[in-house]
Amino acid sequence: MPDPVTADDPTPAPPRFSYWIPVALVVGLVLGVAIGLLVPRGDSLPADDSAEAGFARDMTTHHTQAVEMGLIAYAQASDPEVRTMGVDIALNQQGQIGMMQAWLREWNLQPTGSQPAMAWMPDGAESVVNGLMPGMATPDEMKRLRESTGIEGDRLFLQMMIKHHLGGVHMAQEVVAVSKDKEVVEAAQLTINSQQREMTDMKSLQEKLGATS
Amino acid sequence: MSTPGPERVPSTVKVGKTTGQGKPPTGGSGANRPGGSRPTGKGGKGKGRKPVTPVKVAGARNWGPIAVAGLVVVIAVGIIGWGVFASVKSDKQKAVPWEERAAAISGLVNFRETNPDLVKGSQHKSGVLKYEQTPPVAGEHNPAWENCNGVVYTEPVPNEHAVHSLEHGAVWITYRPDLPADQVATLAAKVEGKEKTMLSPFPGLSNAVSLQAWGYQLKVDSVDDPRIDEFIKSLRVNASIEGPTALCDRGVSVTGSTPQG
Repeated sequence: MPDPVTADDPTPAPPRFSYWIPVALVVGLVLGVAIGLLVPRGDSLPADDSAEAGFARDMTTHHTQAVEMGLIAYAQASDPEVRTMGVDIALNQQGQIGMMQAWLREWNLQPTGSQPAMAWMPDGAESVVNGLMPGMATPDEMKRLRESTGIEGDRLFLQMMIKHHLGGVHMAQEVVAVSKDKEVVEAAQLTINSQQREMTDMKSLQEKLGATS
Repeated sequence: MSTPGPERVPSTVKVGKTTGQGKPPTGGSGANRPGGSRPTGKGGKGKGRKPVTPVKVAGARNWGPIAVAGLVVVIAVGIIGWGVFASVKSDKQKAVPWEERAAAISGLVNFRETNPDLVKGSQHKSGVLKYEQTPPVAGEHNPAWENCNGVVYTEPVPNEHAVHSLEHGAVWITYRPDLPADQVATLAAKVEGKEKTMLSPFPGLSNAVSLQAWGYQLKVDSVDDPRIDEFIKSLRVNASIEGPTALCDRGVSVTGSTPQG
């Protein structure tokens, strides 16, 4: 109960209002701004045709092929380092697929979208050739990799995976440039960093094994 | 303690509300507050009296802050309302649930509704299997799946592997073997580079094209039928009963009618 108020009440009451009005206004303004800042969060969930959703879906497609390439190398490469490289890339990217699919679910979106592949990227749609995004191997190349044996297979894997990583890094850089979603940007940056590291490793493996002609 | 409690509550509530915080003497005068306070407050006679009176004085003069507070509330409600409106609006931009989209495809046969046993999954069985649907849409299948990461098969593939691919979320597009090459190319373009899809001819197909997803089927007579894309969009990956990370590679790429086991 506002007991202390009673003591001072009678005379100084009127001036107090003029005191309180600006205070209340400031408080109201601060409150309003705070709410205004908090509320749009829900609004900022990436939409179905957003760059974030496009990235999550297209990178899933892109990663899916890398997983297969990595698992082929793990299963049949002749060089132990190439096999390790293969399984490392495959599991890493499969994990990232899971993460990206979880994003879509959190955003109340679905794994499939209406936008064509790479449409989220400036000039992205033109970079798709026969349904393949930058760096992706053609069905013929995948067939050759599956059927490859020995050190030639190791070399082919390294060559194909470096190319694949170049495309993947490019896509990740694009989303870093256009997205304001902290989680997406951080994950994309992580992808850029790890794939660039892996490319360095694969290039030194190429030197060890001799690159394909 | 606990037994008398509930009985007391109703009576206490009535008294308590009028009393304020339950002091018997203050409570009596408190009940009279609304009436008595204003006159006393204005007159300034309240000083000598009980603390109750001054409180009312403040209340009467408090219209200014109340108005400001009211304004603040109105503004806050407005901001919140706008936020809710905006998020509702953005909800509308979000994708329609895939089940609803699928249900809107005319001619789609939904075996999940008619035959729940067929689609329960995890029914690995080796060897040649019989299917009630042509092409099959679900049910028992061989342990190995047909590779289905955007694979264009130019020969028929064994049902026993293909059904396993459906379980992993693949859309399996089948076409009548006599379909002209350019039309086959149209279908192939829908598959190439798109994981969880595969294309193969299917001898004896009743229509030009039949699309299968786990528990779903759609038969159309033209490769340009817009329902083909809608089927793929609605059911690819979504129809998987193993989630979006089920594998579509490292399976088998068997062609012909005999499964690998």
